[in-house]
Amino acid sequence: MMAALTVYGMLSPIEQKTPIVVDANATIVLLDSSGQEHEHLVRTQIAGYRVTLDGQVTDYTSETIERYESDSRTLWEFHSANRFLNKANLVQIAKNASFFAIMAVGMTGVIILAGIDLSVGSIYGLSAIVGAMAMNALGTDASLLVSIPVGIGVCVGVGALCGLANGSMSVGFNVHPFVITLGMMATLRGLTVFLSQHFYGKQSIGNLPQSFQKGFIKAEFMGVYPVPIVFMILVTIAGWFVLSRTVLGRRIMAIGGNETAAKYAGIPVGRVKIFVYTITGALAGLSAAIYIGYLGSAETNAGNAYELQVIAATVIGGASLMGGRGTALGAVLGAIIIQLIGNAMVILNVDPSVNQIVMGAAIVLAVIIDQTKQKLARRKA
Amino acid sequence: MTISRTLLATTAMTLIGSTSLIGCSKSAETGESESTTSNSTNDVTYTIAVIAKSNSNPPFLAAKTGALDAAARLSKELDGVTVKVNWQTPPQEDAQLQAQYVEQLVASGINGIAISVSDANTLNGAIQDAVSKGVVVVTFDSDAPDSGRMAYYGVDDKEAGRELMRQLAPLLDGHGTVAVLTGNPAAANLSARVAGVVEEADNFEGINIKQVFSFMPETATEAVAKMQQAQIANPDINGWALVGGWPLYTDNALDGIYENAKVVSMDPLPLPIAYAQKGQVQVLVGQPYYGWGEKSVEMIVDKLNLDIKPASELVFAEFDIVTKDNADEYLKKWDAWLKDD
Repeated sequence: MMAALTVYGMLSPIEQKTPIVVDANATIVLLDSSGQEHEHLVRTQIAGYRVTLDGQVTDYTSETIERYESDSRTLWEFHSANRFLNKANLVQIAKNASFFAIMAVGMTGVIILAGIDLSVGSIYGLSAIVGAMAMNALGTDASLLVSIPVGIGVCVGVGALCGLANGSMSVGFNVHPFVITLGMMATLRGLTVFLSQHFYGKQSIGNLPQSFQKGFIKAEFMGVYPVPIVFMILVTIAGWFVLSRTVLGRRIMAIGGNETAAKYAGIPVGRVKIFVYTITGALAGLSAAIYIGYLGSAETNAGNAYELQVIAATVIGGASLMGGRGTALGAVLGAIIIQLIGNAMVILNVDPSVNQIVMGAAIVLAVIIDQTKQKLARRKA
Repeated sequence: MTISRTLLATTAMTLIGSTSLIGCSKSAETGESESTTSNSTNDVTYTIAVIAKSNSNPPFLAAKTGALDAAARLSKELDGVTVKVNWQTPPQEDAQLQAQYVEQLVASGINGIAISVSDANTLNGAIQDAVSKGVVVVTFDSDAPDSGRMAYYGVDDKEAGRELMRQLAPLLDGHGTVAVLTGNPAAANLSARVAGVVEEADNFEGINIKQVFSFMPETATEAVAKMQQAQIANPDINGWALVGGWPLYTDNALDGIYENAKVVSMDPLPLPIAYAQKGQVQVLVGQPYYGWGEKSVEMIVDKLNLDIKPASELVFAEFDIVTKDNADEYLKKWDAWLKDD
């Protein structure tokens, strides 16, 4: 898919623009094909741009300048780039995937346990709103040393509490997590709307510390914003380590594979389950912290229906809904594939509803392949 | 191994699926119309993204038609210019997804963006980035005034509320008890419309605003239930001002109400127009749905091609007034606006 997009991007390049701001004391005129100077000219008639400053004349041709914007006195210089395989687009895909991938790592643990968490989208929304309320109270000038612990701490804390509630109720009342997390999904969404309306009378909360936004989560490096991707990588490594290199990871696999056998083997099934749901909630909170840091606000609709994308990422990544199988890396790759599909739709100018069709079909196919493979393996055995 | 094989299969399927679907739908999404002859020094193609709030809402589908029609017309009219429209709209309202679309479109080399902003706080940063990278941005329907966008096209929400009351008061001969129906009470555009209704009511001595009834979630069912409950509890209500048309997206929403009260509402969409035809709703106040797309594309092309921007950042449109008398005519407009959907 990436190869196909790269070839398409090469055949249909884009114009990447760089601004050249013309000095306020300089004069600028537009040149037509005969070299005549004009103050205004239709873009298609412009052959060049002449900038004069202190008697020094600099000419630019329309082959290098995309257009001139008079109100900002900017000449937009352009150069061709691959429509898909360019730094900005690739970082964009990874960044967009990071919000879902971080949650999908937690969801992988839940699905390995043969459980489900339908409330991650609502946990994400509630964590974002509460985190934004806390950071809004700090003011826009709060320092980095204050805003980071408050922003991340509050969001992760709220998420962890919600996850703890999911796990405790599911284990304590011996109710399938589908029912508990379905109820929590509605409850937490309602709470999100209530808090925002009751305390702010608005649908969204902004005016967050700049230090948490441009100073941290949306810090710019070489023209892109890579911090969410760094978080995604760190969470993936942590998820991989826990699931494949620790006792806890082996216990999670064992419970998902055969819960009764795990109990007889002395594994504290209830505690492990509660822990996994708590971590899943905490990761939804972390993702929410990155969201509000990146976009500078939280809105009551945030995370609505995100549980579907998170579960989809996990399943596409190879986790079995029957439990006992799945990896953190697979979940992250699943999230990236979903974003790649979305990116292809944008690049190829396809109606976004087709995106849903393709994504849905991808999930169904991934599950069918998984089931078929398991059947074949059983027959061989 | 398990993961890689599953991923491989999934990827292959998505590639095949997306390629075939792209083949089916791409041409329908562009307003491309190549000029046959050209006297221009250099031919240019302007690609303009249109991002509405939700992909299945008739007003935004009308905006899409307006944008595509404008692109096709401008491609014919302007020498050496081809205008393409890239429609990218979330399935449901999702400000974060809108922000992602803006960023992706900028990275894919878009020239201009027309956007109906779901949440200004969330979109401000993405639009500011787009503007700083030379993309011309126009907002329609809902604005983000602090984003650095070139212009906003739509109605003034407070004025829309005032217009509702201006239409309702004569129907009540300037005397009556009026209820206002709104959705999410925290929504900025709805709050402005309610304020407009209430302020305008002060100009009519005999009009008394009984109460502002709000409901959530903003579904037709909830709206109908709230309206029915309010009417039963307050039989003296003889006028309703609906700042959104939610209850009118169902049949028989006004049973028990239209017999006792005059009703004016925003948004003459096809279903609400049926109420006007039946005489159960007296006036529907419309926004420039088709114009959201059409005018936005025109403004962006003017800026890109001629370096001209509107005289004012806020370009307000006139209201369409729909009654029983012109309902059929307005319905025909919808047939044209929704021709591709």
